Amino acid sequence: MREITYSEAIREAMSQEMRNNQDVFIMGEDIGVYGGAFGLTNGMIEEFGPERVRITPISEAAISGCAVGAAMTGMRPILEIQFSDFIMIAMDNIVNQAAKNRYMFGGKAKVPVVVRLPGGSGAGFAAQHSQSLEAWMTHVPGLKVVQPSNAYDAKGLMKAAIKDDNPVLFYEHKMLYPVKGEVPEEEYEIPLGKADIKKSGTDISIVATGIMVNRAMEAAAELENEGINVEVIDPRTLVPLDTETILESVKKTSRVLVVYEAVKRGGYGAEIASMIAESDAFDYLDAPIRRLGGVAAPIPYNPELEKAAVPQVNDIIKECRKLMNK
Amino acid sequence: MATEVVMPKLGATMEEGTIVSWLAQVGEVVEEGDAIAEVQTDKIVLEVEAETTGVLLKTLYDEGSTVKVQEVIAYLGEEGESVDGIDHKSFSASQAAAAEDSAIQERPFENPNKKRRTPAARKLAEANHIDLRRISGSGPKGRIQKNDVENYLVENTKKITPLAEKIAVDLGIDYKNVTGTGSNGKIVKADLLTSNPTNESHVQPAIQQGEKRVPFKGIRKVIADRMVQSANTAPHVTLTSEVDMTNCVRLRKELLPVIEKISGCRLSFNEIIFKATAHTLQRHPDINVSLDKNEIVYHTNVNVGMAVAVPNGLVVPVVKNANQMGLAALTEECKALGKRAREGKLLPEQMQNGTFTISNLGMYAVDGFTPIINQPESAILGVGTIKEKPVVINGEISIRSMMVLSLSFDHRIIDGAPAAAFITDLKETLENPFKLIV
Repeated sequence: MREITYSEAIREAMSQEMRNNQDVFIMGEDIGVYGGAFGLTNGMIEEFGPERVRITPISEAAISGCAVGAAMTGMRPILEIQFSDFIMIAMDNIVNQAAKNRYMFGGKAKVPVVVRLPGGSGAGFAAQHSQSLEAWMTHVPGLKVVQPSNAYDAKGLMKAAIKDDNPVLFYEHKMLYPVKGEVPEEEYEIPLGKADIKKSGTDISIVATGIMVNRAMEAAAELENEGINVEVIDPRTLVPLDTETILESVKKTSRVLVVYEAVKRGGYGAEIASMIAESDAFDYLDAPIRRLGGVAAPIPYNPELEKAAVPQVNDIIKECRKLMNK
Repeated sequence: MATEVVMPKLGATMEEGTIVSWLAQVGEVVEEGDAIAEVQTDKIVLEVEAETTGVLLKTLYDEGSTVKVQEVIAYLGEEGESVDGIDHKSFSASQAAAAEDSAIQERPFENPNKKRRTPAARKLAEANHIDLRRISGSGPKGRIQKNDVENYLVENTKKITPLAEKIAVDLGIDYKNVTGTGSNGKIVKADLLTSNPTNESHVQPAIQQGEKRVPFKGIRKVIADRMVQSANTAPHVTLTSEVDMTNCVRLRKELLPVIEKISGCRLSFNEIIFKATAHTLQRHPDINVSLDKNEIVYHTNVNVGMAVAVPNGLVVPVVKNANQMGLAALTEECKALGKRAREGKLLPEQMQNGTFTISNLGMYAVDGFTPIINQPESAILGVGTIKEKPVVINGEISIRSMMVLSLSFDHRIIDGAPAAAFITDLKETLENPFKLIV
């Protein structure tokens, strides 16, 4: 099958939906001729013109308000926030408006907006451009939160996000943009709220999000040589969360490691761990539920320290050995 | 205010009790007088009753836990009431002062009733009714892991051969109490026969097509295999001897009312023959033997089994130390065992450790026969019917009560001469029963 990058897959999903539906348009800073900070929208202004590829001023407050308003009046905007860190400036529009309006208008209004959010560390962008703050959004009822880990999922999830009538926060990982994967040219959707078992195993269930899925897969291959058979689960969407797939896996393996890039304290992995502890899968646990997350520090600029701040393949391997009492 | 439920002191010597089961679930409403839990002391199982009406808020111990008397085991109260703040380690008010010292000392240690274990280990242990306190944990800080429970299960599961297990299931035998004689105490097929009273409901008639067909299985199959095994391994020789029972007939007539008065049981010839056989066996240790692999075992006890016909088969309850029993006790014992056998209520230990067997067909029109030895014993006595016959004594014909004894013995370890000496001695004892007094 054809291989394309993660960013090409997202662009393909947006372009296909824009061809299918005149109401879909994209907006954001430098997304026109420049192609966006990460070149993701390259070539889109040429195909769709400036009416549907709208270059905005550098004001996340203004452009998020624009997007929410456009969505409420019948459009289906896709808003690019250049770095997910900047969503703080758009917080009121997203949390107080986008998340609430469908509810407060008794369903007469809907807010079908997709907010694209490049996140994560590893590119040397330092403390204000490298965060993973998705947990803040998962806390707000009314918002859906998506976090694809590969090109195939990114395309299918983006199409589902665009078609969803609720605000969807689409967290992309900068370090995954150039990673290629097999992606069919035809249209397909991956429903929001359906986890994927990336590798099945019997000894430990690793529930990983975003780029950590890829690191967990590397760790799993290493651990295979040691006779530890790891199952890797990618929830793909944090809200809604596919609890069933996770719990079935836990019942099978009896051990869980939750891996996420965000700061461990208060990260979404804590929600996953709590959900497991409260469920009837508790009775199957043969070890405490473990979390592996980022250290509670700003992401450092120094590349070595930057790596040390978030879980790496080796950290996952060590944690798995501990879980197996090895 | 929550009410404490304490481990009751059910006897003067009772110091602790075991919670057998919780009869009420947490959250359940119980009325005053309702049973909350079943508690076992060293003597008896009793129910703990609610002293007030309320909701069972919390239970402090798992089933199987042993708890000191007067210690709080649960709380009753109003729905929604929290008892989490209460320090349940403290005893009820009346005991609080006395217990204070020990409670203070206990606090630094972990609660021995609650071992560190994973949820999976706890669940597996519960499903198999295992007390986790018996298991040592291999995880961090001695935490019991699931595989610790699995290993415990493997080590402590009763070992049984697949064939024996199938027979046990077919017959509905609970083999937990059966003593295994195979390697490492493994239960083999033969152990089940000696331990199992028959149960006629286990033979299921097949669909009748002109003739009745019954599956050849269960106790029938076990008996069959044992008979074949005995007949094929032990070279059987059977000696017969006709015994003049006239004196025994007289003895029985005279003792009948005496023994009936003592034991309430009617003396029969069976017990007189039993007594005489046990008495004679004691003087012939070379008959009271077994072959155990490479060794001949000379038994010190004289344990005499009696073959009892039961519906669908045959069982052999054993009278232990029959040589040491008087006729009254022997009569009582034989009648009791016979009754239990026919009712299918024999206990495994009542069928074990026989050293010799008597098969009495005297109630039928049988003179003599060739009994098959009940392995691992080495000899068996067949008893025929008593009938009056003309007999020549001192050149004169007189009418006497005659009976044929048939002694089968295993020629591997018993030769003809000692067997003949035994049956001769037995014959003389029965013909002159006063010898039993000696």
